[in-house]
Amino acid sequence: MTSMVTSQTPLETIIDAADAGTPLRISGRGHWMDAGRASPATRILSMANHTGVVDYVPGDLTITVRSGTTLAELDRITRAERQWLPLDPFGSRDGTIGATIATGSFGPLAHGFGRARDLVLGLEFVTGDGKVVRGGGRVVKNVAGFDLVRLVTGSWGTLGVITEATLRLYAISSEPVTMTLNLPDGVKGISQRIGPILGGGVAPYAVEIVDAALAARLGLPAKTQVLVRIGGNSAAMAAQRDFLAALGGAHELEADVWGKLGLVEDAEAGEMPPIVIRFSTLPGRIVDLWTNLQRSGIPIPGVMMHATPSLGIVRCILPGSSSLDAVESLVGTVSGATRLYERLPSSLWDSMSQSVTDVRISQRIKRAFDPGNILNPGILGPLN
Amino acid sequence: MSTTALAEKLESIVGERFVLRRESDLLVYNSDGLPGYRRMPRLAVFPGNREQAIAVVRALAADGIPYVPRGAGTGLSGGALADDVVLLGLHRLKRIISIDIENLRAVVEPGVVNLALNRMVAPLGLIYAPDPSSEAACTIGGNVAENAGGPHCLKYGVTLNHVVSINAILPDGEIVTLGDPEGETGGYDLRGAFIGSEGCFGVALDVTVRLTRRPQAIRTMLADFTSVDDAAHVSSAIIASGIVPAALEFMDGPTIRVVESSVYAAGYPADAAAVLLIEVDGIEAGVDADRDTIQRICLEGGARQVKVARNDAERLKLWQGRKKAFGAMGRMAPHLVVQDAVIPRTRLAEILARIGAIAAENRVVVCNVFHAGDGNLHPNIPYNADNADEAERVHRAMGQIMKACVDAGGSITGEHGVGLDKIGYIELIFSPDSLAAMCKLREVFDPDRRANPGKVVPIHSCQEWRGTPASRAAEIQHTAGVS
Repeated sequence: MTSMVTSQTPLETIIDAADAGTPLRISGRGHWMDAGRASPATRILSMANHTGVVDYVPGDLTITVRSGTTLAELDRITRAERQWLPLDPFGSRDGTIGATIATGSFGPLAHGFGRARDLVLGLEFVTGDGKVVRGGGRVVKNVAGFDLVRLVTGSWGTLGVITEATLRLYAISSEPVTMTLNLPDGVKGISQRIGPILGGGVAPYAVEIVDAALAARLGLPAKTQVLVRIGGNSAAMAAQRDFLAALGGAHELEADVWGKLGLVEDAEAGEMPPIVIRFSTLPGRIVDLWTNLQRSGIPIPGVMMHATPSLGIVRCILPGSSSLDAVESLVGTVSGATRLYERLPSSLWDSMSQSVTDVRISQRIKRAFDPGNILNPGILGPLN
Repeated sequence: MSTTALAEKLESIVGERFVLRRESDLLVYNSDGLPGYRRMPRLAVFPGNREQAIAVVRALAADGIPYVPRGAGTGLSGGALADDVVLLGLHRLKRIISIDIENLRAVVEPGVVNLALNRMVAPLGLIYAPDPSSEAACTIGGNVAENAGGPHCLKYGVTLNHVVSINAILPDGEIVTLGDPEGETGGYDLRGAFIGSEGCFGVALDVTVRLTRRPQAIRTMLADFTSVDDAAHVSSAIIASGIVPAALEFMDGPTIRVVESSVYAAGYPADAAAVLLIEVDGIEAGVDADRDTIQRICLEGGARQVKVARNDAERLKLWQGRKKAFGAMGRMAPHLVVQDAVIPRTRLAEILARIGAIAAENRVVVCNVFHAGDGNLHPNIPYNADNADEAERVHRAMGQIMKACVDAGGSITGEHGVGLDKIGYIELIFSPDSLAAMCKLREVFDPDRRANPGKVVPIHSCQEWRGTPASRAAEIQHTAGVS
């Protein structure tokens, strides 16, 4: 039976669990509970009530918050000062900053601002043996000590329960604008269209390709297109608009298209959460990867795809009811790309995904920070 | 193992010429760019290629010999030195293995000089963004070990943000790939953990770095002030305005005057109390608007004038004075303490005033030249180390400055690393449990603590923590200059 403890101060819970050898499933607001491998942990430690601002000096463009603070709340607080955290992981803004960092999540804004690991300046976390540990700091530049921040970011809660985070913020000089351009079919046509956008003529915050099915879900014409989010001072904005317009067929979109994109997976979730597979390759091979996936994905009903070309990433969103054959056919047609599974039905994990902690160093790190293997055990794969 | 036997073993790998064992030869390697620290290695060995580097590390592992990896020795924290170790010099591994224009990547060996890479990619319209002031000599391997920064890291990020993956040899001789040169990795960010580990986690054999397109347009400005306080407030105001300059550098009066009296004279106004060297870059249409905004903030904040470089030659001259400022300080005194601390950017004026007061109290001259945009201070003190009284005053002033930065919510190092210089301060910012966690991480990579022994985390932090003994607490306070 599953039990839940909601903790303002998780330290005692972790110490008790460590003493008793009770595995814990760490949770923010629960949006990621169906992601990752199944964990045998039945006791859930929810950080949802561990919220609030610890320190925010707008002039420093940094903020320190407790880990249960939602992204929406961060948006609200920082926008009041005309600032923002340019981190837009796919999913609801109702998710917590702690879960975002723990899963190393990021979205289209990673093109212009980096990933979670680039925006986190400091972390406090509680290790599996109940020690409160801090890495990094509250200033924007810091090389003191070994880098526990990068280690814990993206570790899926397996090394420590994040309790507090200091984040780098950016000022909003003007409201960003989003333009869309249709993409032709074929490798050559797409490359010719994307090349100038990535080639320095504009300095976009985000450049995201969406396929026809996904475009339709966003309320756009059902055509493959590239969404470009631009920002900067008014002169820079005007020049970028002109540049995109000169490429032909560009037009402006409502800003909430990015919010809709983030929610596509949540909206899709009914009885069966979607299957999400992330392929990655060198940026120069992204168009090949995209066209290959488009070809192999077409026979799968309901599949949607989008890509961040500068990062070499294509995300495929499949209906949760897709068969193993469909998933295998999609994966099997792609060579030369790395696959990461964000969401899979629990029955498919072992056959589809290798453990990502199977390297010797990672196993030793896990044992050093969580000697009893009580924090999200098994979620990244079994320990050898 | 005797030093003679060890030398012969290493000579069999790299050749006799590339193993140094005479004390007179080793003197060159007993300090880094911060000559206040001297540690004498027992041997120095210089592999000439990857295979030799691997064989040397494995030979040292087989006999349990401690070693210190070293690039060009330009570090400023007393990091690449230790007594009685083998100094493993990697500057001969200097091949630029590949440059991939399409994917904006380069693969380099650890001994490649930072500026050599930039010169190689410049004709392609590309840059390697991290640009420490020692760029003409420092190596990419050293940059990785220290997570090096530089003036343009304000906008572009530090080494960490520009390294895709690393092939490294661990102290036990195992070769590992950290990160993925072509795609994403799941699991722990071992690449991120390795960068900035100051040689304690192993030796990089090659590094895949991310290249950046040279911005369409650059505007470089020099704003001069008759008040340090005004310059500090303007720095904070520029950051708060929302513009992210490519660089925002601060030099105070003593620094300006020593630069202007040196061969690196850049045309800074010698009567100024402070200057700000500010650069914005990006698409052509946007940079002029940012330039205008910054000019307005400077003038409204008390700048006497804002000079804009009219061409590349003027721009480079303005930068030369900044980048060579440490060298110019050699004119003031035989020795120089270079400090590296970080403070929240809104506290700049307050902390600079405090530094001025500390300098007066201790009768020392502080030359402030630093990265104002990210709050990364470099208060430097030229002095004569042979004068015991002066040396004591300098030491005390540095401790007090560091304490002031930490009390303001800052860090003890922004880009130089901990090395020997900062190890006495690290307990000011990290708890015993945090330091113990760092020790555990180190022991994952180097269970015997043979790689750059005694660095980053004090050895007593690696024991099971039982509280701060009163004697140790007093020592920490003393180091921080608190009486």
